[in-house]
Amino acid sequence: MLPVLNIGPLALQTSGLAILLGLWLGLWLAEKFSAKRGVPPNLLYNLVFVALVTGLIGARLAYLVRYPEAFARSPLSAVSLNPGLLDPLGGLAVGIISGAIYAQWKKMELWPTLDALTPLLAVMAIALGFSHLASGAAFGARTQVLWAIELWGTPRHPSQVYEIVSAAAILLILWPGKWGEHEPAGRYFLLFVALSALALLILEAFRGDSLLLPGGWRATQIAAWLLLAASLWGLHRLQTKPKTPTEIA
Amino acid sequence: MLIMPTPSSRMITYLSLALLLTGAVWIWWSRAPEGATTQGAIPAPQKGFLAPDFSLETAEGGTVRLSDLRGRPVVVNVWTSWCPPCREEMPALQRVYQDYRDRGVVILGLNSTVQDERGEALAFAAEQGLTFPILLDASGEATRLYQVRALPTTFFIDAQGMIQEVIAGGPMSEALLRIRVEQLIEKSRLEEP
Repeated sequence: MLPVLNIGPLALQTSGLAILLGLWLGLWLAEKFSAKRGVPPNLLYNLVFVALVTGLIGARLAYLVRYPEAFARSPLSAVSLNPGLLDPLGGLAVGIISGAIYAQWKKMELWPTLDALTPLLAVMAIALGFSHLASGAAFGARTQVLWAIELWGTPRHPSQVYEIVSAAAILLILWPGKWGEHEPAGRYFLLFVALSALALLILEAFRGDSLLLPGGWRATQIAAWLLLAASLWGLHRLQTKPKTPTEIA
Repeated sequence: MLIMPTPSSRMITYLSLALLLTGAVWIWWSRAPEGATTQGAIPAPQKGFLAPDFSLETAEGGTVRLSDLRGRPVVVNVWTSWCPPCREEMPALQRVYQDYRDRGVVILGLNSTVQDERGEALAFAAEQGLTFPILLDASGEATRLYQVRALPTTFFIDAQGMIQEVIAGGPMSEALLRIRVEQLIEKSRLEEP
């Protein structure tokens, strides 16, 4: 665990660095193979850029709306660099909506675009695992297994390592170079969602910080199961859909 | 057009259903037993855990023990006089302290004296007109106990003694500080017996 990297007077948050690095590598990989999905790389890059910038602005604005009094006392805080003043859900909503508007404007089709974005999502999943490992978040349950790590006062499952390994395995299975352009649009993305949901469903059992529902049910596992069911249903629909001439070729 | 399922698509359907059923069984089997999530059970300098206890000398010569403050929201700000972001966020901490002390909020300025000069630290506190308690960690015990890797680092602790947030690095904006303090007060109010 290394939450902060001190370089001279600078204290760099390693979890944030892992996310930034993942974004850079993931976008590079997605751009490299996006033409296979019929999505021009520059359009894909612009789509991600628009979604990110508007998402960040939206996240800050959502926070401003939630806590107007605190910002009224200190208006300069509205432009502060503190990531703690971002509303993740608000940012996600704004990022998705503005991305959808951009895609509509540029006449980008939904499923090929999601397929083209999949390598980025797969790399980001690995980066998220590294981010958790660096900060010590998403930690494992207590255990006596041989590979347990000492964290927060007790031996625990190295849940962050499980997360990284499973995300890396999903990226290898779905390596963009191996998956051709003759598949039905959407299958590649839905496979990624199904595999990620399955990994989450399995690995959540080893977490020590799960959000628990009455009876000890883990909320994340239930959400992952629903996501798995939805993606399998989507894959089934694609399987039974008649193929287009391009897919047959 | 009516699509008849092919044998392979029927096989995929069965496999999918089997996967979902196995997943449901796994969810049921891996339910957390009572007390399985160890957050709160042991002291650790991490969100969701009990704040490790310490007892430190104040600048005025008294002593403050963290566990004695149970029942009140506490903000522990670890700082040194030579650290620019620490110096920058001090006025905001003082303003927030003035606004919230009557509502029971405690702000502790934990000077990591082990990596500072006592005289410099006290001079800076006087120059800034800080009125919240300044704790002197001369041995570095509290700094080590809280695994402080960046300066400043701020711990937001609720009335039950649980760490609600850790902010490593700075300077914190005043709005962030006010919002976190309000959240601590709100949480303490909700959990009052």
